[in-house]
Amino acid sequence: MPDHSMAAPRRSVRRSLLLTLPVLLWALLVLSRIMTERGNAPKLAGLTTAIFMTALFYGMMRTYETHRWRRRFFVALGFLFPIGFVWDLIALRGSMSIPVERMISGDTPFCFLAIPMMILPAVTTGAVIFPGSILPTASNPHAIGAMVALWLAATLVMGKGWCSYGCFFGGIEEGFAAAPKKARMRKIDPRWRWMPWAVLAAIVLLTAAMLEPAYCIWLCPFKTVTEYPQVRSLETAIQAGIFLTLFLGLVVVVPLLSKKRAQCSFLCPFGAFQSIFNKTGAFEVRIDRAKCQPCVLCEKACPTFSMGPESLASGKTRLSCMKCGACVDACPRHAVVWHIKGTEVGAAPERARLLHLYSAWAFAVMFGGSIIANTLTKLLGFVG
Amino acid sequence: MGVTALAAEALALGLSSGPVCLASCAPVLLPVMAAGRPSPRGAGAVLGQFLAGRLAGYLVFASIVWALGTSLRLDAQSRAWAPGGADLAIAVLLASYGMAMRARPLEKACPAGWARRAAPRYRAFASAFLGFASGLTLCPPFVAAGVRAAEAPGLGRSLFFFFCFFLGTAAWFAPSVSVALLRRFEPVAIVARLVLFVLAGYYGYLGIILLGRTYFHA
Repeated sequence: MPDHSMAAPRRSVRRSLLLTLPVLLWALLVLSRIMTERGNAPKLAGLTTAIFMTALFYGMMRTYETHRWRRRFFVALGFLFPIGFVWDLIALRGSMSIPVERMISGDTPFCFLAIPMMILPAVTTGAVIFPGSILPTASNPHAIGAMVALWLAATLVMGKGWCSYGCFFGGIEEGFAAAPKKARMRKIDPRWRWMPWAVLAAIVLLTAAMLEPAYCIWLCPFKTVTEYPQVRSLETAIQAGIFLTLFLGLVVVVPLLSKKRAQCSFLCPFGAFQSIFNKTGAFEVRIDRAKCQPCVLCEKACPTFSMGPESLASGKTRLSCMKCGACVDACPRHAVVWHIKGTEVGAAPERARLLHLYSAWAFAVMFGGSIIANTLTKLLGFVG
Repeated sequence: MGVTALAAEALALGLSSGPVCLASCAPVLLPVMAAGRPSPRGAGAVLGQFLAGRLAGYLVFASIVWALGTSLRLDAQSRAWAPGGADLAIAVLLASYGMAMRARPLEKACPAGWARRAAPRYRAFASAFLGFASGLTLCPPFVAAGVRAAEAPGLGRSLFFFFCFFLGTAAWFAPSVSVALLRRFEPVAIVARLVLFVLAGYYGYLGIILLGRTYFHA
């Protein structure tokens, strides 16, 4: 790989195009479902998305950088998903809020954040506690079974890479974190990084005790931009207040001040749960200690406190690494590298990056790309 | 009904509904046990204190339901004071236990002799009182046992019924001592302490809502 510190490295246009070709074909294939729908809006939206995703991948190939190109997709997904979701809710129900009785009857689209909470009650009682349907229904096409299968397939390959390529919420705070040039809040006690594990343990225990999805009912900040229980009592008003406070604090204000993904770092129990699968995924980020001169640029670049002094000493990231590539791109000595487990560290880092990106981007195009294209279809249909 | 039949019924009820009791108490018990990184013996001691407190809670509850079943007439709203107050007490205790179990324990942070002596006593008191307060919160099997105890012909039999019910449920709590196996992982204790605060917030909210609802409906 060329030396980043000398000049901005570039792969040849021809070779970059060649490496991008499979992604273009994949994008056209998976988005053809939308492009073949009736009207001009779906065609235009599908084609725009396919070009967008392909262009970003081309950028990754040409520049050898991952993070800034991935971030554009991820922020687009984060901001377009709630628009499309709320659009559907208003078309179906006329409101973003849902009455409790409709929630109990299973009219709630399933969200992957509920997965860790479902396991204990499913094992002990054989019941799925989330108020949704296992299989798609006419009123609720987003069934639990499909989402769990999709999550499992992606997780086994990417591990916590889900949080950088699959999560449709993380892009919102990543967008706010990317907005300022410099961080104003520089000192955050890194011990707070244990908080998502605490929230995970608390909600798993409470869910098993109360047999209700505790996180969705009490703590999910993204209820603010998706669907929330209708405010009809003091309790639901308090819930709405908690959702709004957490959203404004951890998704907007702290990322703006710190340039970190604060909600992912300090609250998200799904992220903590997903960290476990970094042990099973094939790809990881490692530090070549022979090359590393601890400038801690990687530590500063990491949006989730997944690099610390012990990482530099051991050559391994923390378990919470979500493979966004920020640290790899930030290292001027190429000491932080992509790695395939079981191979020698630093032996063929670009090959490891390519293999990781092909699997992650294929999923991103299929899952996130479809969400982006669907929302664009709605927006284009509305405008034109 | 004979004493043997009463004991068998209570024991069977306790054994059959033990998993639900464990699920109800686990949010309080497990973080309390994990926060101190105890040895298996220490974990056993915390469990013992918790269960002793829980037994006391059961017996107090048994006395109340027997009295309610025989003489007192209180409406459902008035009775909600007990679980509301218990939830609030759990919240305060969890938060204070979390403070007492912080990275630098109280006895090291404060060199005064009284603090060194008081801290372990406080932790023992807190785990016992958490058990007591957990014993007063109304989980479904507990209510079922309460209904049965209210029908007992005397206070002694009501207490005996709850004691046997407690023994049945307690069997399910024994495996929780295995939390001690995690003691060599330092982050487990950090996470457990944070869990204590998260849960304190939850139980605090629950207590305030229950008490508020009772107050405004009274």
